[in-house]
Amino acid sequence: MPKRILIVEDYEVIRNSFFLILEDMGYMVETAETGEKAIAMAKEKKYDLIFLDLKMPGLNGVETLRELRKIDKDVPVYIITAFYDEFYDELRRAHKEGIDFELMKKPIRGEQLATVVKGILGSESG
Amino acid sequence: MFEIKLYLTGQRKRSKKVIEDLEAFLEAECKGQYALEIIDVLEKPRLAEDAGILATPTVIKTAPSPKATVIGDLSNKEKVLAALGIER
Repeated sequence: MPKRILIVEDYEVIRNSFFLILEDMGYMVETAETGEKAIAMAKEKKYDLIFLDLKMPGLNGVETLRELRKIDKDVPVYIITAFYDEFYDELRRAHKEGIDFELMKKPIRGEQLATVVKGILGSESG
Repeated sequence: MFEIKLYLTGQRKRSKKVIEDLEAFLEAECKGQYALEIIDVLEKPRLAEDAGILATPTVIKTAPSPKATVIGDLSNKEKVLAALGIER
């Protein structure tokens, strides 16, 4: 059974490019353009990996992460963000609260994304 | 002497497990002939940016050449050591 990945990203171009790259690798990929939608989807299905943009209108990445962790404490969640200190106060607060997440850099090229996902999930066939 | 850098997010339970596992792998295979540097990307994101890190956790062997990198799941000892070029 292919691994299931959820992409939470408000910027359509990025969302679509992630979708195409990961689907082409054989993963089952779903997308959400808002944190609210991602939370609703996570309540319905179990994911093997979630990519979550940090800066989104409405619920931002950290707020969405807090809600996702109430649903699934174990799914790997990768916050997508530039590696710049100015974005990190809220992430540090969440971490101190005991909320688990990993980080993936933004921007990221297609082949880099593929490398990261292979490292996290291994074979797309599960 | 193997020079290893580990980039991870935070210093809580999951990261501590990654560190413990990696140190155990290295101690068993390198017999103390290694230097491990740990970089918390949450505290020092700029170091990760400068090193070209894509995601956490990432472990990089910077010496001896060639440079080698493992991203993501670091729980498989054989896979990590083989990828870093640290073989028995």
